[in-house]
Amino acid sequence: MVETRRQAVVLLATLVLLLVLPALATAVGMPYLLTLGSQVVIYAIAAASLDLLIGYAGLPSFGHAGFFGLGAYVVGILAFHAADQSRFLGLVGGATQAWIVWPAAIGVCALAALATGALSLRTAGVSFIMITLAFAQMLYFLFVALKIYGGTDGLGFDSRNTLPGIDPSSDTEFYYICVMALVLVLGVFRFLVRSRFGMVLEGLRQNERRMAAIGLASYRVRLVAFTIAGAGAGLAGALDANLLRYVSPDALHWTMSGDLLVMVVLGGVGSLYGAFYGAVAFVGLQSLLSQWTEHWMIVLGPILVGVVLLARRGLWGVLAGASDGGADGGGGAR
Amino acid sequence: MSALLEARGLIKRFGGLVASAGLSLDIAEGEVHALIGPNGAGKTTAIGQLAGEMRPDAGSIRFAGQEITRLPVQRRTRLGLTRSFQVTSIFPHFTAVENVMTVLLVRSGRVFRFFAAARRETTLREEARAMLARVGLEARGDVVAEDLAHGEQRLLELAMALATGARLLLLDEPMAGLGPLESQAMTRTLGGLKGRVTMLLVEHDMQAVFALADRVSVLVSGKVIASGEPAAIRADPLVREAYLGEDS
Repeated sequence: MVETRRQAVVLLATLVLLLVLPALATAVGMPYLLTLGSQVVIYAIAAASLDLLIGYAGLPSFGHAGFFGLGAYVVGILAFHAADQSRFLGLVGGATQAWIVWPAAIGVCALAALATGALSLRTAGVSFIMITLAFAQMLYFLFVALKIYGGTDGLGFDSRNTLPGIDPSSDTEFYYICVMALVLVLGVFRFLVRSRFGMVLEGLRQNERRMAAIGLASYRVRLVAFTIAGAGAGLAGALDANLLRYVSPDALHWTMSGDLLVMVVLGGVGSLYGAFYGAVAFVGLQSLLSQWTEHWMIVLGPILVGVVLLARRGLWGVLAGASDGGADGGGGAR
Repeated sequence: MSALLEARGLIKRFGGLVASAGLSLDIAEGEVHALIGPNGAGKTTAIGQLAGEMRPDAGSIRFAGQEITRLPVQRRTRLGLTRSFQVTSIFPHFTAVENVMTVLLVRSGRVFRFFAAARRETTLREEARAMLARVGLEARGDVVAEDLAHGEQRLLELAMALATGARLLLLDEPMAGLGPLESQAMTRTLGGLKGRVTMLLVEHDMQAVFALADRVSVLVSGKVIASGEPAAIRADPLVREAYLGEDS
């Protein structure tokens, strides 16, 4: 899927807009736009990793918040132990340096995805949806029960993870870190979906029986995809905990998985970059509509139905126009 | 003569229905072996067991001297035993070349490569084009598979089966749904492959069967009732009664 010229223009314009957002927010006197921007970028990372599963691997996971929340809790728990000089399970000390904490969050989530994926990928269809949901809910109730980490109240901490040369308390600098992470993740995913691995994954989604007939052990391929997606959500979760300096079981709740799904669908299933525009639309609508009514989902619902019915390729399809057909690995092209 | 594939006493039951009732079959290396029989004789069940999609309740299957009765589909494919489908089974959103490339890269075993763009691998692409040329599709390589004509899709399937490196192709009704001209093209293509790859041909089109087959086995009620050269089979009174008389 070589991007068309229009797609390249849209992506470039988006990147420029992302880079000038802090200046823009200051200029118009709405500094909270920066926080909103960080939130969008973080959700975009999580949604893109979910799109890798749904749009490319054909695995409709309904438990992606499990990895998002777990990544956030790794940050929270390590910060908690660093603050009171104690040890997690009496083994691991706390940490606040980003270069330790973030890879730890990614690693823990990758492992969790490997373990839960190993079991859930033995099922397919509705059973797969249900089992991924069940795993995420198990995590949710685990953290609700863990009173030491705040239970339902969640876990707050004083400062963001530190990076050499970066002021963690600066919202602008943190925002740029999030943007860098998004560009990095999308870049990696872009290579991934065009690689041999991506081609096989896409073929598996199109015709699983055929793949078995030509000799592919599909289970391992899907497990690797599931693990990568879990790691991506873990990074997003770690950033989210840093943005808010707070983590609660809500990050693990099934409604969060639902929100991520909505972003993927709004942006365009199987469009890779669409996840970002889906996150923009979701966070944008949420902050606009929730000023007007707390039942803002009432408005989001019809919009979602409209997008599904009218623009099946999602916002990315609307913005960037037709992709180059079925060869692009996109799920929307049918 | 030792057979490339030997099936012995295959039994497969679905509830009260016995789809394979002690089916035995020998396929010699290099031959085109046709398996014919009336509807419901158990042809598809037979192919399913040989390909590994179904497990026989009893009996054994040997391929190239190796016991494969319990091996899953993908292991058999790697040994060189591949099936095509009665219903066209391709990757609809990939181009014809990409369909074959996918087969080739799975066959290479190097699936876990995450960075280099697969579609730009020229050796893979050239090899895929060569496979397409063998079935006469070289000019249609860049067409998205779902936009190919039905007959072309069947040829693409054949190219994909060849790309697995098959020594034995299990062809499940390759002429199904093809018009007369397309059938002839398919017969020509299969004829062109004859000798280079062993084929088990399950087919209703008797013209194609008698044009292609070196040997014919007749399946009735889950059992092979006769096996021999086409002329002998055509003359066999038992076969005429059981099958040929009512079909052709």
